[in-house]
Amino acid sequence: MNLITLAFKSILNRKASVLLTLFTIAISVMLLLSIERVRQEAKQSFSSTISGTDLIVGARTGDIQLLLSSVFRIGHANNGLSWQSYQYIKDQRGVAWTIPISLGDSHKGFSVLGSDENYFQYYRYGKKQSLTFTYGRAYHNAQEVVIGSEVAKQLHYHVGQQIIVAHGMGNTSFHNHDDNPLTIVGILEPTGTPVDKTLHVPLKAIELMHDSAHTNDARIISNEHEHEHEHEHEHEHEHEHEHEHDNVEHKHHNHKAHDLSALESEPGDLIGHPKQLTAFLMGFDSPLYTLQVRRNINTYKPEALSAIMPGVTLRELWGMLDIVEKILLLFSVVVVLISLLGMLTTLLSSLSQRRRELAILRSVGARPKHIFSLMCSEAVLITVLGSLIGVVLFYLLMLIGQGVLQAQFGISISLSLLSYYELMLLGVIMCTGAVIGTIPAIRAYFYSLNDGMSIKL
Amino acid sequence: MIQISDLIFSWPGQPLATLHISNLHIAKGEKLFLHGPSGSGKSTLLGLLAGIQTAQQGNITILGQDLGQLSDANRDKFRADHIGTIFQNFNLLPYLSPVENVILGCNFSDRRTATLKSANSTANQQAITLLEELGIDELCRSRSVGELSIGQQQRVAAARAFIGQPELIIADEPTSALDADNRDVFIKQLFEQADHYQATVLFVSHDNSLADLFDRKVSLQEINGACR
Repeated sequence: MNLITLAFKSILNRKASVLLTLFTIAISVMLLLSIERVRQEAKQSFSSTISGTDLIVGARTGDIQLLLSSVFRIGHANNGLSWQSYQYIKDQRGVAWTIPISLGDSHKGFSVLGSDENYFQYYRYGKKQSLTFTYGRAYHNAQEVVIGSEVAKQLHYHVGQQIIVAHGMGNTSFHNHDDNPLTIVGILEPTGTPVDKTLHVPLKAIELMHDSAHTNDARIISNEHEHEHEHEHEHEHEHEHEHEHDNVEHKHHNHKAHDLSALESEPGDLIGHPKQLTAFLMGFDSPLYTLQVRRNINTYKPEALSAIMPGVTLRELWGMLDIVEKILLLFSVVVVLISLLGMLTTLLSSLSQRRRELAILRSVGARPKHIFSLMCSEAVLITVLGSLIGVVLFYLLMLIGQGVLQAQFGISISLSLLSYYELMLLGVIMCTGAVIGTIPAIRAYFYSLNDGMSIKL
Repeated sequence: MIQISDLIFSWPGQPLATLHISNLHIAKGEKLFLHGPSGSGKSTLLGLLAGIQTAQQGNITILGQDLGQLSDANRDKFRADHIGTIFQNFNLLPYLSPVENVILGCNFSDRRTATLKSANSTANQQAITLLEELGIDELCRSRSVGELSIGQQQRVAAARAFIGQPELIIADEPTSALDADNRDVFIKQLFEQADHYQATVLFVSHDNSLADLFDRKVSLQEINGACR
């Protein structure tokens, strides 16, 4: 029986107070690890949203606003930029590729992004990864749509299915019509970026949608007019309804059959005749062109444009969140400290009750240094056990919170092993625990020196 | 066995000496009754004998070893090796089993472990033997310390003092919490063990009625020159 076993048995003897201390430490460790993990994953998924793009160009607006609207689909770009400007800048020297982006429409709460074939060829995220398909392929003509993995998952869409994309933002769209059904020809692999929550259509599809929306506006008015009429012809109305119903069922039956045949479509025009774009992404042959072209765009006369370097703006944006991040970290560190101080309190208050125990140990030959290491190992045992339980709780929390974080914030949490940084955090906690443990240990040391074997109560 | 000569001890910060013993000799195998009412410097003397404190003047020699010559750590080791202690009450660690309590001292003493080894025994076996001899049967041994009666606890403490055959047993009022019957049984068993293991017993008590059971009686008040 060595000192560690002795310390362990002594701890077991004071189960209630030690368990509470252990629990506090475990909770605080769990909190610290969780906050750190979420913070890092958030930063990771944040900065990996876009990569390989040298410039993002849009109508003149704030840098961060442009980044948020074009990449994160947060907020609206107030203005678009004209197709002519796009054509002009595209042909500048050194431009390797451009991806036009047209946003502003939605489908059941997911944003719709109009672009061309360059999107699938040049768009990069994370560590310069390109978009890959789980099923299907890129769109070939204006009647096709490629959806992100989250869209497919949440709406239970599959390749070959026909969907209606509406004009306008938000879930409740008043311009719902079945004039332009789009066929799903591809589902993208999960990326952990807003791409997962996006429906990708050719620019021409957006154009068609808007054109028909206009004609539809007119139709709604006439419909209302008809409606009044229909009151008199209720029979007719019911009949129509039944008919519609039949149609829908019919469509459903054909879904499976559509699957394969849908992919064998004729390639067609993707661009059409757009007047405006929300923004476009640019890549250059050499990074040397970036600053020059950026200056040219920012001073472009015919239209007020701004060009941002996504990396720089991402850092700027993250810098704004930095303070929040720091405060969170500070809080969780303080919580850990408080829990360790709680342990100190428990150990110190139990010490006076344990002077008899120390005297007995002294009488059987324990030296003051034994008493010191006994007390220290108690603190270390409590901290280590607390940290271990904390790690278990942390993984449990991550397991439970994973789904919510992904669904609500698009942060994918990996249940990977502890990183060096996290292990270092745990190490620091344990060291702090050991250091704090020396305080009661030193007191016990002097108690045992002074009291000796005489038992004082 | 024990030779105390010209010992003067005062607690730090106190002008007057607490203890002043010009001569005290205890022979090997002797069972000495030291009568010491409270305030007679009893605790101080025990602390000095156990090597917790050291005297300012004079010396204490135990088994031919002058305690004053030893370093703090070596005095602790000396105590662990050669002295077994029994306190008034609450002698045991509540979180250890009776057997674990008995072998506790073996962790701190190489000599006791070595003695057990030369007797072809382990600490565990020896603890059980001792406890058997002192009348702590298997049923009692399986209980937690807190469930034992005070008399049983004191016998477990006695077993702890005797394990590994230390030469000196210091008993500090071990019977004050026991009733008369238990007290006599305890002292009888203590002597049996002491004879068996050839240990010297220094029994400290304020209760003079026990003195007749011992080889010799010494009154601390009488030999302590500082106590007047």
